[in-house]
Formats: sequence, C-alpha cells, structure tokens
Amino acid sequence: MSALNKEYKNRLLRFTPHIIIILFLLTLPTFTDLAIVSLVTRILIFGLLVMALDLVFGYTGLMSLGHAAFFGVAGYTTAILIKYYHITSFWIAAPAGVLMATLLAAVFGILALRAKDVYFFLVTMALGQLVFEIFNTSTSAGKLRAMTGGSDGLGGIPYPDLGFSFSPTSYYYFALIAVAICALLLYLITKSPFGYSMQGIRESETRMRCLGYNIWLHKYIAFIIAGLFAGVAGVLFIYFNGFISPESVGFNTGGLILLMLILGGKGTLWGAVIGTGVMLALQYFVGTITPQRWPLIMGGTMVGVIMFFRGGIFPLSRNLWKRMRR
Amino acid sequence: MDKIVINALNGISYGMLLFLIASGLSLVMGLMGIVNLAHGAIFVVGGFVGLTIAKLTGSFLLAVLVGALSAGLLGVILERGFFRFLYKQDFAQVLVTFGFIFIIGNLLLWIWGPWPRSAFVPSYFAGSVPVMGAYFPIHRFAVIGIAAMIFFVLWWLQEKTRTGAIIRAGMDDAEMVSGLGINLTPINIGAFFLGSAIAGAGCVIGVQLFGSISHFDGMGLLLTAVIVVIIGGVGSVQGALVGALIIGLVDSFGKVYFPEITRFTMYLALAVIIIVKPSGILGRKL
Repeated sequence: MSALNKEYKNRLLRFTPHIIIILFLLTLPTFTDLAIVSLVTRILIFGLLVMALDLVFGYTGLMSLGHAAFFGVAGYTTAILIKYYHITSFWIAAPAGVLMATLLAAVFGILALRAKDVYFFLVTMALGQLVFEIFNTSTSAGKLRAMTGGSDGLGGIPYPDLGFSFSPTSYYYFALIAVAICALLLYLITKSPFGYSMQGIRESETRMRCLGYNIWLHKYIAFIIAGLFAGVAGVLFIYFNGFISPESVGFNTGGLILLMLILGGKGTLWGAVIGTGVMLALQYFVGTITPQRWPLIMGGTMVGVIMFFRGGIFPLSRNLWKRMRR
Repeated sequence: MDKIVINALNGISYGMLLFLIASGLSLVMGLMGIVNLAHGAIFVVGGFVGLTIAKLTGSFLLAVLVGALSAGLLGVILERGFFRFLYKQDFAQVLVTFGFIFIIGNLLLWIWGPWPRSAFVPSYFAGSVPVMGAYFPIHRFAVIGIAAMIFFVLWWLQEKTRTGAIIRAGMDDAEMVSGLGINLTPINIGAFFLGSAIAGAGCVIGVQLFGSISHFDGMGLLLTAVIVVIIGGVGSVQGALVGALIIGLVDSFGKVYFPEITRFTMYLALAVIIIVKPSGILGRKL
C-alpha cells in the first residue's frame, strides 16, 4: 500500500511542473494585461518555430541557419494571397502558406544536403539569405515588389475569419491550441522509430549507415517535416502580427532562433519553448529600456551562452527537479 | 567590345576585393577549422578605423596600415579570448562568431554613429585612364594590383616556405603536426592576424567600390565571402582567388545582361557549384 502510494506520489511530483505550466497558460488572460498575453502568443508561435528547428538540429544534428526562411515564406504566401489576390478564406490561405514552406524545404533540402557539417550550415545560410533578398527587393522587379512590399514589408492582415471574430485573447487560445497540437505531433515523431533513427544519425552516421539505414532520406524527411512545422508557425505569426517584413526571414532571425534553441536546451522540445520564452521576454524588456543596444545584448547573450552555458535551461532544471524530488 | 572589357575589368576589381575578404576566411577555415562568421565585421572595423585615420591625417598608406593592424589585433583578441576554446566544435564556433557580428556592429554604431563612412581615394589614385575607347578609374587598377600582390605573397607563403608547409600539414592533420613537435599555436595566431589584417587593409583600399560602408555591412559581406569560399574551395589561396573572380565577373556581367536578377546571380553560381562539385572548384577535401 505504502509502495503504491509512494509511486503515485512520485508520478504526481514528476508531472507537477507540467500541470503548473498548463494551468498557467490556460488562465493567463484572466490575470494579466494584453501586452503580456500578446508577448506569450508570440512566444508560443516562435516556440513552435524553434521546436521545428530542434527536429533538424537537436534531434538529427543538422545545424541550419536558414530555418527562418520557411517561417517567412509561409507568412508571406498567406499575406500575399490575402492582400494581392484577395483570397481571404482561412482554409485556402493558411494551408497554401504551409504548403509553400514545405515545398521550399523540399528544394532547399536537396541542395543543402549535398554539403556536410559546417558546409551544410553555410549553404543553408546562403539559401536563407536568398529568400531574404527575394522579399527585400527594393527597386527592380516591379511585380514582385508590388506583391511583397519589398523592404517595407507587407501589413494589414486581419485575424482569420472562421465564422466568428477573433480578439487578441481568443487568438491567444487559438494559437495555444494550434501550437499544442503541433508540439504533440512533434513529440510523437521524436518518439517514433523514425525519431529514434534520426537521433541515431545524430550520434553516429557511420554506425547507422552500417546498420543499413538510408541516411540521406532520413535527413531529407526530417528537414521537410521541420520546414512544414516552421510553415505552420509562419502562418500563425502572420495572422497574429498582421505584418511581415524581410527582417523575419533573413539570417538575423535564423541565428536568433538557434540561440533560443541552445539556451533552452537542444534535443528536448520543451527546451525550445523555454529558450524562446527567455529570449523574447528579454527582448521585450530591453525594448522598453534601451532598444538601440538590443543587438549588443543579444550578441553578448549568444557568446555567453555558448561559452559558459551550453547545456541549456531545460536539461539543467529537469535535473534539479529530479534531485529535489528525491 | 569596349563594353565587355570595361565589365570584365569591373568584375575583376570587385573580385579582387572579394579575394581580400575571402582569403582570410578560407585560411582560418582550412587551417583551424574555424568558421569565423565575424570576419565580415572585422573587415568593417578595419575600414572604419582606417578611414577615420585617413580623414585625420590625409595619408592613405598610414590609413591602410592602421586599418590592417586594428583588424588584425581584433582578430587575434577574438581568437585568443574565445575561439581557441572552441576548436573542433562546429556549432559553438559558428554561434559565438555569429554573436560577435551583432556585438561589433552595435559597438561601431555606438562609437561612430549611424552614418556610413565614405571612401578615401588618395590623389595619386584619382582620375581615369582610357581603356579601349572607354575610361576606367585608376583606383580600380590599384585595387587589382594591390590584391594581386597580396595574392602572390600569400601563395608564396603557403606553397614555398617552411611555415606554409606547416600550415598545409596542419590543415590535413593538426594532431600529427603537433605530435612531430611543432607548436601550432603561433601559427594559428599568425594566420588569424594575417587573415584579419588583409581584410582590414582590403576594406580601406577597396571601399570605393561599394561607395561607402556602414556598421551593419559586416553581415552581407560575410555572406558574399562565404559563397566565394564555398565556390572556390576551402583552404587554398588559389581557391579563394578563383571563387572571388567568378563571383566578381558573374556580378558585373549579371548587372549588364540580366539586370532583373542581378541580386540573385551569386546564389545561382553557388547552386550550380553545389550540384556539380560540393567541395568547391579547387577544394582540398570535404
């Protein structure tokens, strides 16, 4: 009886942080103002983007600096459909954005996976910047400029029309549900046989090849899946933000999300969200005090985290919690 | 005909400037396996310091020397302070050096303000000379000439000297070189200093080709340099030169013949190389 009781208590303790987080997220709009709700919505959306990146970097060991490109392309596709082609239906514009991101990942995957290690990273950086250049057209290419708004970005995207009108609070819940479903799917992928072979490739490519796995195909599929979820995040972002500019596509964002991932702890999904939360909250508060120094603080955080704190917040706090329970 | 010659000269001068940026990147990447994403920012620092000196003293030579020295010192400080703890840790190097792009860019903004630095051309490089019926600025010939000299010095250093032999051996197997009793640390510091100093000098000499340079230009230039290194192949001076000339010529002819896609020609060249020969044209091993 007491052993059973102890096991029950243990399990309860183990999931206490999860329950607290879920309750916190569900009740958040009741006790904070809209600025914080909007910040947390942003954290959730970018959290999904960073989780998608975690799938390629944390789980498969492919470091990509071009991952913001898929996020941006999805957001831009949806925005262009709405603003330029006046296709306002959520059920066309949103899936089209995700589809474009997935297709782009399929094309970039073929190119980037020809290179290995550092070169893979450098090629994704160049490809990501190519996408940035396409959206950043300033003078030439009149039609493209009319579609994308060039360096000014593309704004004025309303909340999606799902038969009722969204408020910032209800969009928060919409994003929460969407991100939760995607996070669950990503979790299931990492726990599937495919997910384990991804981790096997991360640990030792040679060994996995000897075991008869098709390394290239595994990497390629992981890359595409990550592109798809980055696309979902991009669509959620454009409806939330109502505005997208080339800034959210280039390797500024690509580097920032890598930092978020490492700060939170790569290869853990939870860490991706935590790192995103810390960085975006930091950005929010720096923005209220000294916005001009944000690049300095961000760069400093990057150097500091990599030099001294590479394990990440999530693995550290998980170990601490484990020790405390004993 | 004269149009082709002028475009070729434009492409070559731009390519030679790119060589000055890319050679250091390639050297450090090949020798130490360090992907220094802050290289573009170091280039800009050299330019800012050099151009400030030029404005104060009016001496071009002094400006180039001080620019090179400041960039080289910054390179060594970064290597000794940070990068040397990160050998053989790809993702860590990449992110630390990436972080320094933001730090250096923001510090430049803080110190020098948001205005771009305009180029300084000494009187003896001003003016143009007739080439096949058209006029071509002397300054660009000077860029080509200086870069060509630096190329030959680097090539001689890497291929014909004992130090160069150690560098090349270090690229192939650093552990073995150390095992033979050769201390690689001064070589590494020297390579970092040399690569950064060439970039810094290159910025002072060649900034005229961009018109002016801003504190955030380090990122865009880095990207071009990275593409040059990927195309040419990592770790050889010749590779950097070939890659730089290809990008320079592709850029200048692209501007004339395909003006709509001129910003993307560089990426097209990259995509072709990745598909055909991922290790680069003169790459060592991948």
